[in-house]
Amino acid sequence: MGEGLTLTLATEEAARCLLCFDAPCSQACPAGTDPGSFIRKLHFRNVTGAIRTIKKNNPFGWTCGVVCPTARLCELACSRTAIDKPIQIGKIQRFLVEHGWAVGFSPIKKAEIKKDKVAIIGSGPAGLTCARELALNGYDVTVFEKKEKAGGNLRYGIPTFRLSEKGLDREIEEITSLGVTVKTETPIEGKDGLTKLKEEGFKAVFLSPGLWSPVRLGIEGSDLNGVLSATDFLGAMRTHEASDVENLVRDKVVAVIGGGSVAMDAAMGAKKLGAKDVYVLYRRSYTEMPAEEKEKIQALNDGIHFFILTQPVKYSGKGSLESIVCRRTRLGDPDDSGRRRPEEIQGSEFEMPFDVAIEALATEPDTGLRELADLTWDNKTITVSDANLQTSLPWVYAGGDIVRGPALVVEAVADGKKAAEAIAQHLEGKGE
Amino acid sequence: MKDLSIDFCGVKFMNPFMLSSSPVSNCAEMIARAFDAGWGGVAYKTLATQMTKIIHPSPRLNKYNNQACRMVGLQNVEQVSDRPLEHNLKDIKWLKKNYPKHIVVASIMGFSNKEWEILAKASEDAGADMLELNFSCPHMAIEGSGSKVGQAFDLVELFTETVKKAVSIPVMAKMTPNITDMNEPAMYAKNGGADAISAINTVAAITEIGLDDLIPKPNVFGKGAVSGYSGPCVKPIALRFMAEMAQNPELGLPISGIGGIETWIDVLEFLLLGASTIQVTTGIIHYGYRIVEDMMEGLSDYMEDKGFNSVSEIVGKALPNVHHTDEFDLSRQGVAEYDLDRCIGCGQCYIICQDAGGQALSWDAENRRPVMDEDRCLSCMACSFICPVEDMIHYKEMPKGWVRHDPEPMEI
Ligand SMILES: Cc1cc2nc3c(=O)[nH]c(=O)nc-3n(C[C@H](O)[C@H](O)[C@H](O)COP(=O)(O)OP(=O)(O)OC[C@H]3O[C@@H](n4cnc5c(N)ncnc54)[C@H](O)[C@@H]3O)c2cc1C
Ligand SMILES: Cc1cc2nc3c(=O)[nH]c(=O)nc-3n(C[C@H](O)[C@H](O)[C@H](O)COP(=O)(O)O)c2cc1C
Ligand code: SF4
Ligand code: SF4
Ligand code: SF4
Repeated sequence: MGEGLTLTLATEEAARCLLCFDAPCSQACPAGTDPGSFIRKLHFRNVTGAIRTIKKNNPFGWTCGVVCPTARLCELACSRTAIDKPIQIGKIQRFLVEHGWAVGFSPIKKAEIKKDKVAIIGSGPAGLTCARELALNGYDVTVFEKKEKAGGNLRYGIPTFRLSEKGLDREIEEITSLGVTVKTETPIEGKDGLTKLKEEGFKAVFLSPGLWSPVRLGIEGSDLNGVLSATDFLGAMRTHEASDVENLVRDKVVAVIGGGSVAMDAAMGAKKLGAKDVYVLYRRSYTEMPAEEKEKIQALNDGIHFFILTQPVKYSGKGSLESIVCRRTRLGDPDDSGRRRPEEIQGSEFEMPFDVAIEALATEPDTGLRELADLTWDNKTITVSDANLQTSLPWVYAGGDIVRGPALVVEAVADGKKAAEAIAQHLEGKGE
Repeated sequence: MKDLSIDFCGVKFMNPFMLSSSPVSNCAEMIARAFDAGWGGVAYKTLATQMTKIIHPSPRLNKYNNQACRMVGLQNVEQVSDRPLEHNLKDIKWLKKNYPKHIVVASIMGFSNKEWEILAKASEDAGADMLELNFSCPHMAIEGSGSKVGQAFDLVELFTETVKKAVSIPVMAKMTPNITDMNEPAMYAKNGGADAISAINTVAAITEIGLDDLIPKPNVFGKGAVSGYSGPCVKPIALRFMAEMAQNPELGLPISGIGGIETWIDVLEFLLLGASTIQVTTGIIHYGYRIVEDMMEGLSDYMEDKGFNSVSEIVGKALPNVHHTDEFDLSRQGVAEYDLDRCIGCGQCYIICQDAGGQALSWDAENRRPVMDEDRCLSCMACSFICPVEDMIHYKEMPKGWVRHDPEPMEI
């Protein structure tokens, strides 16, 4: 993670802001972080007020400042773009939160916990945001987390070279210090798991377990040593297995299969762990790669090789991976995603030596989630009401990736806020 | 490059650009570098006799920033020169020997009538081409000096007369802006025999207060003070004094313009309002001597463009256009005219028209564009000053007989 702005640089950047009426940047932030207001506050030297605005609107204000794809959110909407280039909103946001930490200013004060018990399943950005909002409203919140530590993808997905552990810990600590209980290594599983929570006295549940089951290529040789999913690879980097993955890739030739953000993180991660060469194998062309433009360029600049129009068809090796057989593709007509469909070219097989293959295709809900309760699903996502994120059970709400499919941190935050408000209304007998 | 030379009280300047008396003109080594960079003359850092020991407070400067715009103003508590008088006189001699064509003006300040005489003579003997009498420093730590003199008009006349009797070189009196009407002391200086006026010295001010220690800055070991303020922020005030003195037929003296000059445009504005030389300090404290290169080139190109052949043709050219407000033709009215093709939809015009203008604009939220109701426009033009798209909102005169709609009073 690079250095952030200084107060002088942030102030200079804020001076470029046009202080728009009904600021388009604010309208474009899914979580309502309200950059139009916090930049104006910085502009008028109201630095504490700017920090308060961010932290009030977004408990993951720092994280979002660091990882949001601002180029297609607030900064895309920025009026200043029509003059030269957008205000660096993400950087200002990150700076302001760090400045608050540096000077010891914490705008969010603990509320007295005196209302009903609410259970939250999953401690990703959706779950923790919902937890904070409910705790500030006086609810007695318990977050159940399967893994060793809280954070979800912020901890076990996004690598530390993009999001520092120190900042993440601090932002999570700010939430737990408000009287939120987080029970780690406590998965909620099994048949009627949610009903059991109800029996324990929880009046409402927010489901935010994300998508943790990696989709696999399923080609021949997938069981060879050295073939693994990006979920496992990136996750292991953050646990006691960190040295195992390091040994796995150091001085090796690594293939990362896929063209999304996760593939870029896995590729750059492998490179940083000392891989000799990292190849991204992607079946469509550069423009169809779903990773952010910034990430693709970063990967290329890190010396990662892009093999586009390449479809792996077989892993081979004795016990461990030795090579991958691939086929060239070309682009046909657009598919459901609107991107042109890759068509394999018969007879174009070629074999490349590889020691490791990391599959970064997609992730799906854990199958066990379906038995937790009798909820309505839409294929791979839980169905909720758009208005209040309520599931087919009135006391169960859901949000984040489990509802949206692979989405963004800032959208998970938005869902957490929305659900907290709906749950409070539900429990206070308002609304429906 | 055009010939930029100009005659100022019979002294020939190769160009109108001078260092004003301050740290930028503290010694010969510095001034020589300024001359090499292109400055035509110098008002040497104010000399005093050594009867009173001069010690500068520390620290001696403070900045005034506006948002990210740095040093739009500068406050100082510096005193007159703290170097031994004979060192300064030696430096003046050296400069005149090595730069005979450059003009050295000795700025002096006496703390008694006798001292004014001694300093004037010594400067003339050292070879100074002119004298500048410093009646205007607003923060002298010595009783009865600086702007205290400039505010006691009879002393201005007395000291000028003393100096004029002592020397034969031209004498210029430097005015403080910390008064109501600069024509008054300027007339006293004229009656004392002054050949020219220079203005302005610094404006008495406080720039900043430490929010933790509550001490104004510069914080001189726990104490702040009202003291001299200079730089771009004082230029409009200086221009006002230029115009008022240059338009005074009784005064009729050449003027050396000072205050906030940084660019050739600033220079030009002083010339147009009647200055025939200009002096700079804060611009140099901010950017160094090199700024003179752009002043020379800019002024020369402007003269070429507008067909001026000498700087003196420019002097006072805008004065006939400076009127009293009661001379305005109020029967002619207009409105702001928007060319929305280039509008980027920031809505700043709407905010300020609502809160500070005539509520002539409404907001089309869907298209993010202002919608104008001309009949409510005050023609304040505030919107045109904040619109980030250059040159998009213009003034348009309305036909005779057009009436602006005032806001209706509230129903009680
Ligand atoms: C490698 C990677 C990089 C990414 N980069 C970015 C980025 O740069 N910018 C961006 O905006 N987004 C990025 N994302 C997406 C973003 O991280 C997710 O959209 C976001 O984390 C979703 O939040 P969530 O709260 O819904 O779920 P998650 O963050 O997935 O958290 C869910 C949590 O629930 C826990 N859990 C699951 N099941 C149970 C259970 N039964 N009981 C208890 N706990 C359970 C999980 O262990 C996990 O901790 C990235 C994702 C990945 C994988
Ligand atoms: C640090 C400092 C010291 C100054 N010292 C003197 C001085 O000794 N004598 C004098 O006549 N004016 C002095 N001045 C005033 C300047 O000569 C000049 O009149 C004033 O600063 C306005 O011009 P400017 O805006 O270009 O700086 C001083 C100004 C500054 C900033
Ligand atoms: S859209 Fe851009 S210019 Fe306008 S308020 Fe937001 S950051 Fe400032
Ligand atoms: S000129 Fe003044 S009154 Fe007219 S539109 Fe602009 S801000 Fe409003
Ligand atoms: S200030 Fe200028 S750019 Fe902004 S909305 Fe008004 S007219 Fe358009």
